[in-house]
Amino acid sequence: MNPAAILDHKFVIAAYTVTWVLQLGYLTWIGLRWRAEKRNADRRGQRSR
Amino acid sequence: MKKLAIGLYALVTGSLMIWGFYQAMYVAPSDAMQGEISRIIYYHVPSFAAAFTFFSVSFLGSIGFLSFRRSRPEWAQVADAWALAGAEVGVVFCTVGLTTGPLWGRRAWGIWWTWDARLTTTLVLWLIYVSYLLLRRFAAGPQMQTLSAVLGIFGALDVPIVYMANRWWRTQHPAPVFGGAEGSGMDKSMLGPFLWNLLAWFCWGFFIVILRFNVERKHQQSLAEEAEEALAANI
Repeated sequence: MNPAAILDHKFVIAAYTVTWVLQLGYLTWIGLRWRAEKRNADRRGQRSR
Repeated sequence: MKKLAIGLYALVTGSLMIWGFYQAMYVAPSDAMQGEISRIIYYHVPSFAAAFTFFSVSFLGSIGFLSFRRSRPEWAQVADAWALAGAEVGVVFCTVGLTTGPLWGRRAWGIWWTWDARLTTTLVLWLIYVSYLLLRRFAAGPQMQTLSAVLGIFGALDVPIVYMANRWWRTQHPAPVFGGAEGSGMDKSMLGPFLWNLLAWFCWGFFIVILRFNVERKHQQSLAEEAEEALAANI
């Protein structure tokens, strides 16, 4: 592989990595929101009982 | 049963993502002109296709909210949850596109960014929806949902402008590959990997938009319950 192709490959890997980090980061954030909402609902349920 | 269906869908989506990655990296040939860097297209274009779809979901949700907010408040809340979920997932996909694009541009053009028509209109679209999310996050009071619905509709009007930008104005961004001028299109050897990735990203997008919608519905329910409790305490 020539140096230009190696650099191109690094840019492709960077683009794919950024994509996965953003998507999985967002999925994690949704998961945390879900957990917070669930805890909130549980706490309210306990209080009303 | 519901958990099993979600698990199965997640499994299929995950498999498609891995298959799409394999297709993009190992099956698709390097572009004759651009070389290796052309592989970014397999993530860049599907991300924008998904972003436009989810901004359209937000657009429909916003219209639904404004239509039903007086006659059917419960339907309006559902529409509002779709509007928010669509906008948020759309912003995530648009951010991916706006990040992978400059990475491609740096190698293909020698620059990270240029104020080309397609790039500028896309940045404006992203900024409108980021302001939509900031409005939802920081504005309070009964008008917040109405204001954000109006902004959601306004923002979606930029989607067709972004799509048509490299047809109306020929500047730096490459000419459209699909639905472009005569002779445009993709070689069969690249079309297969492209379509696999398109399918994979759409499956992923629908998965996260449904999750986000459910979280928002839970949030709306807890807000409604809190309001009821506060009213009961005052009485």
